[in-house]
Amino acid sequence: MYRKPGRGRVLLLMFLALSIIVITIDYRAGSGGILRTAKEWSVAVVAPIQRGFTTVVRPVGNFFASIGELSDLRDENKRLEDENEQLSAENTQADEVLEENERLADLLELEKAWPAMDKVHAQVYAKDAGNYGEGVYIDKGREDGIRPNMPVLAPEGLVGKTLSVTAHESLVVLLVDTNFGANARVKDERDTGLVRGRGSADPLTMILIGKNSDVEVGDEVTTSGLDEIFPPAISIGEVVRADVQGGQSSKTIEVEPFVDIAKLDKVMVLIREGRVGVDATGED
Amino acid sequence: MSGFSELGIGRAAAFAGMLLLAVAIQSTLLAQATVLGVIPQLVLVLVVSLAFLDGERVGTVVGFFGGLLVDTLLPGAIMGLTALIFTLIGYGVGLLRYMTPPDSVWTPVLTVAGASAVAELGYASLAIIMGQRWVSLEETVKIAGLVVLYNTLLTPFVFPLIRRVADRFRPERVVRL
Repeated sequence: MYRKPGRGRVLLLMFLALSIIVITIDYRAGSGGILRTAKEWSVAVVAPIQRGFTTVVRPVGNFFASIGELSDLRDENKRLEDENEQLSAENTQADEVLEENERLADLLELEKAWPAMDKVHAQVYAKDAGNYGEGVYIDKGREDGIRPNMPVLAPEGLVGKTLSVTAHESLVVLLVDTNFGANARVKDERDTGLVRGRGSADPLTMILIGKNSDVEVGDEVTTSGLDEIFPPAISIGEVVRADVQGGQSSKTIEVEPFVDIAKLDKVMVLIREGRVGVDATGED
Repeated sequence: MSGFSELGIGRAAAFAGMLLLAVAIQSTLLAQATVLGVIPQLVLVLVVSLAFLDGERVGTVVGFFGGLLVDTLLPGAIMGLTALIFTLIGYGVGLLRYMTPPDSVWTPVLTVAGASAVAELGYASLAIIMGQRWVSLEETVKIAGLVVLYNTLLTPFVFPLIRRVADRFRPERVVRL
């Protein structure tokens, strides 16, 4: 058995120290500097491999689309093809056409809802590989106008916001991630509060400031526009518990997001000008 | 440093390539095929396998860089945490191999199971200690348990492939178990 005891320990201590240094830098400096560059490099290097695997998997994923209402949707499909000429139908299977059809209609509605802003349409090509964070990778990046901290939407509602951005890819943190937060209001109410993620298994929590005695299960929650990231009136989800915790000046409720994060496919990034697109280091 | 002298360019490139491949597969194929929303941690299986085959120094280095790679791709987590955990596990498993029956087919499987449990619970504990907002205890235990299960199920398929690459690039003076 060949072994030099002691040498292994020096190496261990060296890399442990390095790990602790990285943790300390991240803990104190947040999302800027060296660590941000490292993240971008990683995303850029791994992306081609991930996208290679995804093109293999995707045809299988679309197989489960439903086949109902074929003829109604054929009519609608014709109409949408006129409006969206750039979309080429590569698949001739009826269920592929249907699912694409539905998504087009939804995306068109979404586009119409935000006419004043530039938008970038993107496709999800990978999920974050950990089990405690919630994120997805999309196939558009800096070259397409995307910067960190831009809102990401799907037809159903809010998806999250961009985090790291490379030339051609972006990492999006989802609204269910424990580190995600957005300022929101219960629709038609005056009081606002902070919506936060709690992981993919649990509903979002929302702490409302104010009396809020009228909040009921089933009420819709939308963004308030009061944080500097999300424009107002983006659908987030619906209230599923209105009585978690109440008090004199605040109330905690639970909100189920409208978006199904397990089925994220095509999304839209809102390109916001000005201060919102600036990340922690002040660069654009 | 002896850890680096054993690591020729070819070997380093092969190990780096395997790490990149593992993380890509984990975030695409495994993430899509997942049952109950929990993703198997293929990178950890790779770290444990290489540590088991080639010893504690390789385990330390591959653990650090594998963990760091995973950290760079996680949204919003504290960077360096996975690097820390995987470095310790790589070292520990590397030492462990001297104490286990060399040719038993169960040993890599059990090692992966044990290492996965330690990694998942260790990561969660450290993140909570550092003040990260975390999912419920129930959810943490469920995730950890499923990761141990999935990693263990993957090992019989993945370990032989890793061993082939490790054998190909191992310098002659290191004894293989």
